[in-house]
Amino acid sequence: MHEERLGLGPDGSPRHSTALLAEVERAVAAIGGWGAVGRIAVGLGPGSFVGIRIAIATARGLAASTGLPVTGICTLDALGRAAGEAVGPDRACLAVLDARRGEVFAALYSADGSRLWEPFVAKPAELADRVGALPQPSLAVGSGAVRFRDELASRDVEVPGDADPVHRVAARHVCALAEADEGGDGDRLEPIYLRPPDAQRWRERNDVRTAN
Amino acid sequence: MAGLAGALLLAIETSCDDTCAAVLDGPRVLANTISSQAAAHAQFGGVVPEVASRHHLELAAPVVEAALSEAGATLDDVGSVAVTAGPGLIGALLIGVSTAKAIAAPRRLPLIPVDHLQGHVAANFLEPEPLEPPFLCLLASGGHTLLAAVRDHAGHEVLGQTLDDAAGEAFDKVARLLGLGYPGGPALEKLAREGDPAAFEMPVAMSRDPGLDFSFSGLKTALVYLCRDLGPDGVSERRADLAASFQAAAVGQLVAKLERALKRGDWQAVALGGGVAANGPLRESVREACERNGVALKLVGLELCTDNAAMIGSAARFAEPIPYPGYLAYDAFATGKRAA
Ligand SMILES: [Zn+2]
Repeated sequence: MHEERLGLGPDGSPRHSTALLAEVERAVAAIGGWGAVGRIAVGLGPGSFVGIRIAIATARGLAASTGLPVTGICTLDALGRAAGEAVGPDRACLAVLDARRGEVFAALYSADGSRLWEPFVAKPAELADRVGALPQPSLAVGSGAVRFRDELASRDVEVPGDADPVHRVAARHVCALAEADEGGDGDRLEPIYLRPPDAQRWRERNDVRTAN
Repeated sequence: MAGLAGALLLAIETSCDDTCAAVLDGPRVLANTISSQAAAHAQFGGVVPEVASRHHLELAAPVVEAALSEAGATLDDVGSVAVTAGPGLIGALLIGVSTAKAIAAPRRLPLIPVDHLQGHVAANFLEPEPLEPPFLCLLASGGHTLLAAVRDHAGHEVLGQTLDDAAGEAFDKVARLLGLGYPGGPALEKLAREGDPAAFEMPVAMSRDPGLDFSFSGLKTALVYLCRDLGPDGVSERRADLAASFQAAAVGQLVAKLERALKRGDWQAVALGGGVAANGPLRESVREACERNGVALKLVGLELCTDNAAMIGSAARFAEPIPYPGYLAYDAFATGKRAA
């Protein structure tokens, strides 16, 4: 089986719409063209809403065009898998992505990569409290772990150095997870937003505008 | 997969709140599929960009599939992919552009980016009764209000446009004020039938402006003040009169500018488009204006007036295709016109 990388950026979200498809085509050309590809893997988020959608729309379009199966992978799962390789057994791995607006997306994994906590969005302090309550200290990786290193360190969570590649969402982990998921089906490519749209805020603003 | 491209054109449009795909064989529309999100936006009284983007992502691939299947075609029959590149909601446009690029690239098909407004103009070029340029085009919808001079198939010149709200936006806002829900255009028209269009005096927008631009915010504000003065009971008693007065003023402004433009040029034909073209009194007033001025009137079907992908495919027939791989980095644009 051949996997394709869909240009995940350092913060775990796919890159801008101008970079993604060119990168895909370059990688496909490097392995001999679309005929050599057996499956398309795509990060479903969490991450920037726009980035997630560009990645999924692109993956679905490619799948429609080529007839290839497509598998969606939770970006936190890919991070957690990477961290699991970096720690010994008996330690939990926390995957943390910077969610902007002073929040993080996070999930907790056992050393073998299985989820202990489902993905959620939280303030760094709330996350620190939650991991602080764990029986043993854990390892945290990802852009959110780097950004909120101090909050996590205060609860005995270990965060590798900023430049450690373990903080990047590696395409090979996305691919490995996709490979494990044989029954990939494009219809199941549900984006992982974790946040509702800002509709409520928008509605309030609109009420004000209409009244003026 | 490359090299065996068919002759059909696949078009995708996601600039606002409708997810649309179409399949064209030259000027013939084989399929024109529209998945409206109106219900999803009704609770907000308008289009919420993030909600629209989420729906487009869910609907884009199925709508493309539905259009192909309705056309009795597969991607193997498609020779080029057209897509709305802007203007519109950027997050919404990106879904269509990403989808179109990803469908085109593995098959080495050319991509044809289309200006949304030129799409509305090009709806008139479609079979069964294509309108040949030159003609004057009045577009009124929830997103745009403009008068355009159409001198050839490839483009249009904006003669006048709204300086604030789009006509359809004003209809929706006033409908909301009168408790009619969203989208409010059809409900407002229905209510107005029972009202007196002369019941309330409405400000005549841009009356001293000799140009061809439109303005609807003054009209909406006048309604807000009227409702305030009438109080809740007064408003519910005189809803029909309010609706009729507003509608008459909005339609009056659209038609006044159209007639002014007609008198300034040597036009033989007028095309009316955009979602507001569904409004009966507007159609009637435009028809009368055309008769008064001795010009022909072209009214495309409603499914080609509101946002749709067939019109995007129609515009693409006269636009510049970008061959593979030139479009891999192509991006959508939210406002204005792309320079190149
Ligand atoms: Zn439109």
